Amino acid sequence: MNAVELATVSKSFGGEKVLDGLSLVIEQGERLVILGPSGCGKTTVLRLIAGFVPPDSGSICLEGTLASRDGRILLSPERRHIGMVFQDLALWPHFSVMGNIEFGLKATGVPKAERRRRIAEVLALTGLQEYARRKPGELSGGQQQRVALARALALQPRVLLMDEPLSSLDEELNQRLRTEIVRLQEQLGFTLVHVTHNQEEARDIASRIVAMQGGRISD
Amino acid sequence: MAKRLTLALAVLFFVITGALPVLSMLFRSIYIDGHFGLESYRGLMSSSHQWLLMRNSLALSSLVTLLTVAAGVPLGILLGKTDLPYRRLLTLLFVIPLLIPAYIIAVSWSGLLGHWETAGRWLFGLPGCVLVLFSVFLPVPMLLTMVFLRTINPELEQAGRLVSNWRGVLRGITLPLILPGIGLAALLVFVLSFGEFGVPNFLRFAVYPVESFTQFAAFYNFRAATAAALPLAAVTLILLWLEASWLRDKTWRVRPVAGAGRAPLIELGSHRLWLFVVVVCGALVFAVIPIVVLLFQSTGAYAEAFSRAGASLLRSLAYSAFGASLLVVLGFLIGYLVYTQPNRYGRAVDSLTFFLFALPGTVIGIGLISLWNTPWTNLVYATPLIILFGYLAKYTALTSRITVSQLAQISPSMEQAAEIAGAGWFRRMLFIVAPLAWRGLLAGWLVAYIFTLRDTGITMLVYPPGHETLPVRIFTLMANGTPQLIAALCVIMIVATLLPAGLLWSLLIRKNPGVGR
Repeated sequence: MNAVELATVSKSFGGEKVLDGLSLVIEQGERLVILGPSGCGKTTVLRLIAGFVPPDSGSICLEGTLASRDGRILLSPERRHIGMVFQDLALWPHFSVMGNIEFGLKATGVPKAERRRRIAEVLALTGLQEYARRKPGELSGGQQQRVALARALALQPRVLLMDEPLSSLDEELNQRLRTEIVRLQEQLGFTLVHVTHNQEEARDIASRIVAMQGGRISD
Repeated sequence: MAKRLTLALAVLFFVITGALPVLSMLFRSIYIDGHFGLESYRGLMSSSHQWLLMRNSLALSSLVTLLTVAAGVPLGILLGKTDLPYRRLLTLLFVIPLLIPAYIIAVSWSGLLGHWETAGRWLFGLPGCVLVLFSVFLPVPMLLTMVFLRTINPELEQAGRLVSNWRGVLRGITLPLILPGIGLAALLVFVLSFGEFGVPNFLRFAVYPVESFTQFAAFYNFRAATAAALPLAAVTLILLWLEASWLRDKTWRVRPVAGAGRAPLIELGSHRLWLFVVVVCGALVFAVIPIVVLLFQSTGAYAEAFSRAGASLLRSLAYSAFGASLLVVLGFLIGYLVYTQPNRYGRAVDSLTFFLFALPGTVIGIGLISLWNTPWTNLVYATPLIILFGYLAKYTALTSRITVSQLAQISPSMEQAAEIAGAGWFRRMLFIVAPLAWRGLLAGWLVAYIFTLRDTGITMLVYPPGHETLPVRIFTLMANGTPQLIAALCVIMIVATLLPAGLLWSLLIRKNPGVGR
């Protein structure tokens, strides 16, 4: 069964067509990188998969379940079992690192003991144990990036969406985190959909690369 | 040099118009018959009447604050973040009571409920004051909630939506993030209701501003009036301390984030209809019905209203327009200083503006009289200048804070580029900063116009003979005018407020479609 399937999806914002009949199949466990210039519709693809916006036409299936179709969201974001790392990370400034990770676990009804175990696990995976009680504003860019990753991974998502999360980091840190992302994906086995405009980053992370141009997958 | 001198002169002018009157009042209350003494205050602590006034004042402000925040925050979320139908129209309806003098709403409710004995009895007292001030100040938490919602990066909520429904996201993410805005709203409502004079005076509820006014205007007992003003100043200082320590850094540079206006709305689904009905009923009860009652009551009384208060109307419009213009200039200079000098000096000036805004108008009025009522200062005391000084003292905080928010949205490099090009400070302000901040200046003018036009606390005390404004005229006519005449004057007052406000608001929206979305 495919992890994600977009079938002839179109989307416009304020009369401007951002996606134009896009079709894309993403298989279980693959690391797909969508590569394309700014404004080509990469982020919109992620937002459609996450269920933040409905497609104007076309359909989106997640593991065989119809999630959105023709202007309607049939499966709300919290029921899609998707994790996402946003471009500006979107860390909640009023929570500590632990609070950021715990919010989703609490909201999805994970019991306290299990929450503790999972928090400890992802903190260890991302090397953040000593920063658990700090607020995001007290961390460096690279540490914040790891918190965003830990927050997404704690929920054991089937699909992890990454929206250019490395673009604001310096080259050295960027390269180190690419390696970590691949290591974590291989260790945990989730499906990764990563968007970027950086070809080198795409090559380092991807098991498959698709290029986007003008709202379509280009050949 | 030009910059330093201009800003220093602006601060000096503000200190003379605002701080000096209050200091003069305090001095005269402790310097009696050639010696210093605390006689004026001795009776204050021992009198049970004073404690009753304090209890009443605190009960009224606390209840109004509690109720407006409890209702205003959910209302702000509904109108600012959901797919509720006719959100913009409903927002405008809820804002109307804030724009007009509060006692007009009290007049309207008394006209409506006065026919029923029990309801009439209930209206005159604490419940009636709470009802009227609730409807008047409900827009404060509502609007601040809407404004602060636009400062949240939509991705913070979307990150929450991946794991929780909207209810969980609002509780866990959104509300904690807008908490400073809610705190500011609570503080403002408390300050405004604590200093409110017109409504408790009309509905005969004994609170400090009424006592202070009565002692001064009815008995001309300056010492008793000042003594009654002292607790007001003390509570105001506590509020200022709260604002400065907890809220100022989090609220004074409100910056909407890019994309917040385009963030997807919460779909109410099956709750949409009943929530819409509840909100419409609220708008009808608190905004539409009071105005409709006045319209019905005032039929046929407009000719008499214009003949008896036409001059007051023109004066009100002129003083408010002129006062608002002065407030924009002074607020811009002080806001620029506060923004560019975030040191102890800048914070002290900002604190002073907020203290005077929070101080009840009656206290400022008594202070102005205390300072300017001398044979050598008739140029101020016996002319409309004293009214304008009162406006500047009380309302500069509004225009300076709006300026600070607006300056925070302009890149400092804009002014720096002009400086490198050789432009002096005046030229930079006039041709670079002011044009870039024009929306804030216009919004500041509008807010200042509304607040000065609805002012009664200061104007009622300081207006020189022959210079009474329309709100004062309505107040004085209440003693011997017919209900029809009073209602007609109230309707004229509402139109005088809403017409320019509507015109300027539509201009702001046309030039910036993001406003009011």
